[in-house]
Amino acid sequence: MMNEKRLTNSFKSYIGLDDDEQVSSCDTSLIDQELSLKLLPGETIVAEAQKVLLFTPVNEQKTGLSGVLFVTNFRLSFVTSHEKHLEETLYQENLLLGQYDVCHSNIDIIYLLTGDKKKRLMTGHHFNDKVKGLHILCQNMRTLSYSFKFSLLGHGKTLANALLHHAFPKRHQLLFAYDYREPNIQSRYSTPTFRCRDDWEKELRRTKCFGWTLNSSNNNFQLSSSLPQFIVIGSAVIDNHLRTAMEHFRDGRLPTWCWSTVNGATLSRKADVIDSSNLTQENAMLEIVRKSHPDLQRPFIMDLTKNLPSPKEVNHSFIKLRELCAPESARQFWVQDNHFYSLLETSKWLQYVSSCLSSALETVNKLNSNESVVLQERDGRDLCCVISSLAQLMIDSYFRSIVGLQTLIQKEWVVMGHPFCTRLGHVNAIDSVKSPLLLLFLDCVWQLLQQFPTEFEFTETYLTTLWDASHISIFDTFLFDCEQDRHYATNNESSPLILRSIWDWEEQFLDRDLIQFHNPLYNASKAKNEFLKVASEISSLNIWTQCYYRFLPTLEISNGGKPLEDFAVRTLIHASDKHSKHTHEVSAPSNIGSFFPFTHWRSSTSVPPSTLTISSLSLNTSDFQMDTSLVEIPEHL
Amino acid sequence: MDLNNKFQNMSSDSDSKSSSLNSKVEQESESNSPTKSRRSTSSTSNEIPFVGDIKLRNKIPENVVSSRSDDPPLLPGEKVQGVARDVTYLCPFSGPARGWLSVTNYKLYFKSLERDTQLVIEVPLGVVSRVEKVGGQSSRGENSYGIELFCKDMRNLRFGHKQENHSRRNVFEKLQQYAFPLSHSIPLFAFEYTETFPENGWNVYEPMAELKRMGVPNDTWHITKLNDGYDLCETYPAILAVPAGATDEIIRNAAAFRSRGRIPVLSWLHSESQATITRASQPLVGVGGKRCRDDERYTQLIVDANAQSHKLYIMDARPSANAIANKAKGGGYEPEDAYQNAELIFLDIHNIHVMRESLRKLKEICFPNIDETKWLSGIESTYWLKHIKCILAGACRIVDKVENHKTSVLVHCSDGWDRTAQLTALAMVLLDPYYRTIKGFEVLIEKEWLSFGHKFQHRIGHGDDHHSDADRSPVFLQFIDCVWQVTCMFPNAFEFNELFLITIVDHLYSCRFGTFLFNSEKERLQKEVKQKTVSLWSYINSDLDLYKNPLYWPQQHALEPVASLRYIKMWKGLYCRWNPSMRPQEPIYQRTRELLHMKTQLMKISDDYRRELKHKASRNTSTTNRLTSPIHI
Repeated sequence: MMNEKRLTNSFKSYIGLDDDEQVSSCDTSLIDQELSLKLLPGETIVAEAQKVLLFTPVNEQKTGLSGVLFVTNFRLSFVTSHEKHLEETLYQENLLLGQYDVCHSNIDIIYLLTGDKKKRLMTGHHFNDKVKGLHILCQNMRTLSYSFKFSLLGHGKTLANALLHHAFPKRHQLLFAYDYREPNIQSRYSTPTFRCRDDWEKELRRTKCFGWTLNSSNNNFQLSSSLPQFIVIGSAVIDNHLRTAMEHFRDGRLPTWCWSTVNGATLSRKADVIDSSNLTQENAMLEIVRKSHPDLQRPFIMDLTKNLPSPKEVNHSFIKLRELCAPESARQFWVQDNHFYSLLETSKWLQYVSSCLSSALETVNKLNSNESVVLQERDGRDLCCVISSLAQLMIDSYFRSIVGLQTLIQKEWVVMGHPFCTRLGHVNAIDSVKSPLLLLFLDCVWQLLQQFPTEFEFTETYLTTLWDASHISIFDTFLFDCEQDRHYATNNESSPLILRSIWDWEEQFLDRDLIQFHNPLYNASKAKNEFLKVASEISSLNIWTQCYYRFLPTLEISNGGKPLEDFAVRTLIHASDKHSKHTHEVSAPSNIGSFFPFTHWRSSTSVPPSTLTISSLSLNTSDFQMDTSLVEIPEHL
Repeated sequence: MDLNNKFQNMSSDSDSKSSSLNSKVEQESESNSPTKSRRSTSSTSNEIPFVGDIKLRNKIPENVVSSRSDDPPLLPGEKVQGVARDVTYLCPFSGPARGWLSVTNYKLYFKSLERDTQLVIEVPLGVVSRVEKVGGQSSRGENSYGIELFCKDMRNLRFGHKQENHSRRNVFEKLQQYAFPLSHSIPLFAFEYTETFPENGWNVYEPMAELKRMGVPNDTWHITKLNDGYDLCETYPAILAVPAGATDEIIRNAAAFRSRGRIPVLSWLHSESQATITRASQPLVGVGGKRCRDDERYTQLIVDANAQSHKLYIMDARPSANAIANKAKGGGYEPEDAYQNAELIFLDIHNIHVMRESLRKLKEICFPNIDETKWLSGIESTYWLKHIKCILAGACRIVDKVENHKTSVLVHCSDGWDRTAQLTALAMVLLDPYYRTIKGFEVLIEKEWLSFGHKFQHRIGHGDDHHSDADRSPVFLQFIDCVWQVTCMFPNAFEFNELFLITIVDHLYSCRFGTFLFNSEKERLQKEVKQKTVSLWSYINSDLDLYKNPLYWPQQHALEPVASLRYIKMWKGLYCRWNPSMRPQEPIYQRTRELLHMKTQLMKISDDYRRELKHKASRNTSTTNRLTSPIHI
């Protein structure tokens, strides 16, 4: 399986690269090879360094690749002819980013390696010419280590400078979305944006909402800068009262409608009042929520600041979790491994996942017993998004399809003003709080998927890809703090931003990879009617191995894991669907690891792929062998 | 117990969903109505049968159902020994339930009388490690007087009795007698049990056939009859495979130099590379550093039997400190200068006492209640998973040497019947796809564990009341746990499912079958176990579908699991199964059944298709369609 190319431009070193010894086994012949970068429309190269080594993660700098490292206005790109080889194996291929590329928005921490020292680079830092290497820690837990040992003097420094400048942009307008010049494509995954009246009205009709009305008073963002142009408010709030009422809530965020049960109980969300000593307006609004209930029942106020972590705490927890999933060395990996369970507990990540699930479950229980729930949080833009969307996912099977989940994220996160730009850290600002609340939500969804594996149309691969995509600065979906910011960016006359939805997955992936988003066990017609009673205790939760471990080659189980299980199911289902026409010549996937389709590195110690023959992947009967391309995307998309 | 009632209750909130020896909560309205029609297994999602229980039910022959409605369902050969009415079962999860308790020569059976739900607790007495009286005549407080049972399967049971008339005396005595029959000169239930099955599990393992399957005898390995009468080594099987060049004299001399005569013998042979796994006990080196020319010669013959490598790895399962300490007791390990081509590796697996203590701690955090705030650090504090990781890592090293380096490996610990069995058996599961089938796994247990003298009687303590016996240890349980961890990492690689493993663990203790009784092949032969008891494999193999993994996708290559705590997890389906909140969410078994059904249909279709292709091919011989070549594993 190993082709010659692979042998010539990967290397294996038996001596340390830190000292000045010659790396004997590193074949330098390829280093002179011409390698160029294929640029996207609007993308420009800012800096490049030749003869750069990229190390296999957590492998003590013993193996890796050599190639050219580029900084563009979009990404940090590593080009090696090795890539060609990997295309032969099945992995998720991103049309915008190469195998070893990383978008600037994904870069969280840059370490400068000088001699034995490792220094964190911050904007404004100056450093000397001796840039031996870079170590990069990404938001999605990926790590990248480069060495400039063979590069020309100064290349490393130039590159580091350019990277520092572009990875941590000071202004929103420096994000690549503003430069990208490629026409939009028409997507199959057409998802309502909730930027128009129609989307809301449809949703109101679908849920048979009663007692709440679509209101456009905020169409110029004059009443609230963070609420969308259309909001659904209690029908009893008349327009002139609305203005007064909104003035009393933080950023005007009075109770707005999220969802209704068939019996008329509603889920709504609100911010705190500005002056807690004056609750007149709050009471008036809650009275309106009460009146919207068919039995005129008082709503249950769920204060999300009580049992749930703050965005800051979530971020702190994430950083600790990431330490466990992105260790710097093999030694650290195994030291951590000995105490993995207590370290995981100390990170509190699963504890937070558990609290979110249990809050959502409580919400759902209330709704299910026909009690209205009002979610309340200081600004109503963080945990309100997590809990309201989780609750709806648990109670309404409509949201459990791919488009359904996208609809939900669009409705509860994007237009309702979750500060994505701030929380994901797209723009470098010292005083803002970064926090991966979206990941916390996706992890909760993943736990649901583990407990109810047949209830969701999407797979964990979809969820992981969604998290990755939130760090690509081409799509506007997760780029802004609120609708107002997006509105201004698109209506800026000098350089209007072209909106590009993340839900247009075809922009990033081929059909072959999109198939991996679809859960073979899902059957929409068999969807559960009752809500998903999630087991939210920590003892019932698991760690999301695909999303968190996939960049650690040592943890990839070759020829094992969930992917093969999915293949077996797909094969069975596919074969039973189409058994009438046995016309396909089917080729089996070879060398599938547990991180498929996110396999980035083949573990150097793993069994050679030749041991995995076609027959070994076939069923007992061997007649049905798997091919992803045969499992078509359902037509309804 | 009516079969169909239980069937329906699978979908209701039954106590636990993953055991074959389980307690169930049922709807009173549905019980005791023998006229109830059998529900289809492929009915709507609300009526999903739980596979875990069907087994037990199927095995209750109709003619044995007692005439009196409050008698427990009995197995052939089972007899009621005592009954106590007006007993309260103090369920740690759903609170006290009043009912009656009966004790048979096989099990404890409690049935509640409550109106709304009916609770049934069935515990084979083999599972019980300790029975104690709680409270006395003067005890105050509700349910302060009664009986408590401590079980080997991670649970304790408390019953409250009325304080009048020594109401607990009879059942307590019967429990003592039948939970610990050997301490009361009563035969184990396996010798009373008379049920017959279509399959005879005693025929599963034929030592000669298994050796033949691996290609033995051949040029380099032959079969010796030296142990025919168990004279060479009484804890070894009668049939042994040894290097062809080893004369009887060498073997005898080597045996004298190995603890309890357990010389290195063949466990497994790689069919292509001829690399082997052999197993032994420690050499009797002692403090003086004794040597034995014939043991060294014999070891060299093992090296020579593999033409691919001039090296032998000796994997000493123990931590090096323990191995060194053993010298003081006359044992030790092979000095590398005496064993020229051998490299010694210590695998750092702890002894039976450490493992017993670890399981005790595990039980503390699992039963009855789970401290959610300290769940993860609690798991770590038991070291259970760390021990599992160590065993798995050891097996992975063996596999790496044998598979990737084509080098033979000799495994031993002190006696070579605990850690050694864990390592060889696990390595064989990883290396050889045959052992990942149901039949193959049964053969593996028969061979590596039973025939090579893992002391099941001492490690489990069947039927004896010395609950704190230092010989007891969950060595075999750890092996099953390791296999389960591997099945989680390779969900397609095993023909069997989780229920298969749980059923094995359940009957490891139950004493219903003869399989896990006694310490060695010699003892089992003397006690005529094959003639007088039923094999667990008879029971399992007579209903194979229950234990099949629908996603089984045979793979020829060796499995290389990742021995990291980032993957190794707590087997909640086994250790936490008594806790109703730990049961799996989805009716996973329904999906499994549907898939199994689908697969069966599919295989039929493909058979038809293959026939059609063959037919076509016979007309048009030039066609070379690779779909026509079936691959059977």
